Amino acid sequence: MVGIVGYGIYIPRYRIKVSEIAQMWQKDPNEILTGLKVLEKAVPASDEDAVTIGIEAGKRAFAMAGIIPSKIGCVYFGSESHPYAVNPSSTIAAEYLSIGNNYLAADLEFACKAATAGLQVSMSLIKSGQIDYGLVIGSDTAQGKPHDALEYTAASAGCAYILGDKKSEVIVNIIITSSFTSDTPDFWRRDGMRYPSHFGRFTGEPAYYNHVLSEARDLLSKSKFKPEDFDYCVFHMPNGKFPRVVAKKLGFSKEQLEPSLIVDRIGNPYSASSLSGFAAVLDIAKPKQKIFLVSYGSGAGSDGFIFETTENILKKKKGITVSKQIENKKYISYSTYLKHTHIL
Amino acid sequence: MKIRIAGAATTEFGELWKTSPRELAREAITGALKDAGKKYDEIDALFVGNMLAGMLGNQANLGALFAEELGISVPAFRVEAACASGGLALHNAINSILAGQYKTVLVLGIEKMTDSSSDEVTAGLMAAGSDEERQAGLTFPGIYALMAQAYMDKYKVSEEVLASVSVKNHFHGSLNEKAQFRRLITVEDVMKSGRIADPLKLLDCSPISDGASAVIIEDENQKSSKPVFITASETASDTLSLHDRESFTTLSAVVRASRKAYEKTGIKPEDIDVAEIHDCFSIAEVIATEDLGFSKKGEGARDIQKGKRTIGKGKIITNPSGGLKACGHPVGATGIKQIVEITQQLRGQAGKRQVKDVKIGLTHNVGGSGSAAVIHILQN
Amino acid sequence: MITTPVKLWRRQKNIASLIGIEGKILNWTIIRVPARSFANQAPYPVVIIELKNKEKMVGQLVDWEKEDLRKGKKVIAVLRKSLPMDPESIIAYTLKFKPHEDH
Repeated sequence: MVGIVGYGIYIPRYRIKVSEIAQMWQKDPNEILTGLKVLEKAVPASDEDAVTIGIEAGKRAFAMAGIIPSKIGCVYFGSESHPYAVNPSSTIAAEYLSIGNNYLAADLEFACKAATAGLQVSMSLIKSGQIDYGLVIGSDTAQGKPHDALEYTAASAGCAYILGDKKSEVIVNIIITSSFTSDTPDFWRRDGMRYPSHFGRFTGEPAYYNHVLSEARDLLSKSKFKPEDFDYCVFHMPNGKFPRVVAKKLGFSKEQLEPSLIVDRIGNPYSASSLSGFAAVLDIAKPKQKIFLVSYGSGAGSDGFIFETTENILKKKKGITVSKQIENKKYISYSTYLKHTHIL
Repeated sequence: MKIRIAGAATTEFGELWKTSPRELAREAITGALKDAGKKYDEIDALFVGNMLAGMLGNQANLGALFAEELGISVPAFRVEAACASGGLALHNAINSILAGQYKTVLVLGIEKMTDSSSDEVTAGLMAAGSDEERQAGLTFPGIYALMAQAYMDKYKVSEEVLASVSVKNHFHGSLNEKAQFRRLITVEDVMKSGRIADPLKLLDCSPISDGASAVIIEDENQKSSKPVFITASETASDTLSLHDRESFTTLSAVVRASRKAYEKTGIKPEDIDVAEIHDCFSIAEVIATEDLGFSKKGEGARDIQKGKRTIGKGKIITNPSGGLKACGHPVGATGIKQIVEITQQLRGQAGKRQVKDVKIGLTHNVGGSGSAAVIHILQN
Repeated sequence: MITTPVKLWRRQKNIASLIGIEGKILNWTIIRVPARSFANQAPYPVVIIELKNKEKMVGQLVDWEKEDLRKGKKVIAVLRKSLPMDPESIIAYTLKFKPHEDH
């Protein structure tokens, strides 16, 4: 069975408080905090981008997996802040991770679910026997338009997952995956534009909720599992409110959801959102535990996965855990935030 | 070895906005010819020391260019070794005479830096460093700042003591009509000046300058009325990067080149009466006086603070011209200006800067952070 | 100092092998007046570090606090962008150092 043999996550150390942003626009910080349930978000350094962040995460994934980089047979890099419009992030990351030349590669874009789509592709390549190992990176330095609602949550982080199918190496198996996809224009960015646009409340019910709930229900019925069968659940986290609402609607408990809710402390790092929540869960998971994950990408679609940890999860050396990286932070002011995000 | 200095002259150093490189060259060359009592057509060859003309002025082919200024199409050479271009051009010129190839050779050191913005100049000067240093965002003040920190930690010397180098050189510069800066400064002035690369401050650093200097040299058998001879010309090289060296508090190229010079002439460091030192930054002069054997290791800065290198007070006087700090540092010209200054000292022509009873002089010219060193010993 | 695509490409394998290398700070300075290609970044520290095999390297220190600037401070090599960027040219990725937390 195909599964994950190693993972790595990198969260940039800078943070800006939601209240700091609110004060800039003379909004009541409490109103924003209660509405979004996000305290602060992760901001990249001026000299970081989705690729450098992805490479840091990749290095950590290899340290855990313990396999030689040249064994990787495919590299998929999902982001909505690829540094180049044309010039693949996947090859830059592969080169600096010393993967060699014998690999399939492509950059993926599907808003916040580009990397989970990459997991599905890699998994299929390994399952079909085409390759032995695959690398999937989800990394973003999301730009929030000043004064826009998304400014409070658009954040930055990177995740890397290495997939394989050797029983002695896999730490969590992919039991089943499926997707629910449609053409729903809730959030988009035109070519050449710096910031994305969205249609306010349309991003809620017809977009996020419809796709996440539909995929979740389809996956549960297909797999014949019930919410109580899972130890953990992870959902895409555009803010602190949406995943909590969705978990409740589906019948998951607060305890099942809680460990994955990194959004409260780092915001929404787009392609790294659900996969960072997943990493936070894997950091504490024990063997033979089931994890339910549904991602969401605007435009729109949801990728659903049912994972089960193996005996190996405790044997592999964990890198810097998600919770430790969340704590390793330095607050910056709004003006410094503008410098870091290249507005100044 | 005995090479006669027939003529020596320098332009003023400073921000010479109105003067073009060609005009600078003409002034220095004419001055040297006049001093030598010679005419243009008596020159057999021309050596030019310059670092930045290609990078900042988009002008290469300097041998031909300045031969054109000289007015005759003699064999012409451009020599480059970053800030040691002048000294190295002289070294090559000397070799050509020793080889019997030419009899009377003109050596021109010239640099025009103020036509470019200071951040362009800072970047241009980093061509003297390594790729790794440039990628790291280092500047030359930064490289010497790293040396300063290592030195200050090792020998427990404070920034105030280091500041006495610039204070001394400004005092000397105040006596030199050709110097860029002629005002006196205090240790407090240095300490208050803006930081460039910690711990070096603005007044620890030599300025951006324009200028040209020229000397005419001949083999010893040519006639001359004012005998000053070059009795040693030695050079050595070292790694490009500071961090690739064994020590950050000594320039091994200087130690090796000066040792050869001392050995070949039988002269000892304490015999030197006056020296022009490459003080691109205050720490550079401190380390140089130790590398050249004037002061014991770790005591260079304190010796300068005590006045041991000051005109009228000390014994081995360093940088009577004001050095790079006060006289100015048009990079390619400095090495030749140093020769002009020592020549004038040995002839008794140094006016208010005259050091008493000068018999032996030394010039110390360095390229990059110590990757090239050229040492000359002059005697009358 | 604009890195051309060819130079960037030629350097890749060497830089790839150095990402993640650990060392200790030997000496440091803070550049306050930078060269043209580092405009807008000053002040930033540059450090000379010593690797475990005693080899030395030089590089910009990122994600730093004042307390990190001391002899003996552990650092790790990371890949970052070389700033500032010309909007049309290739993005130059270069090796820099950042303070290393023990974990």
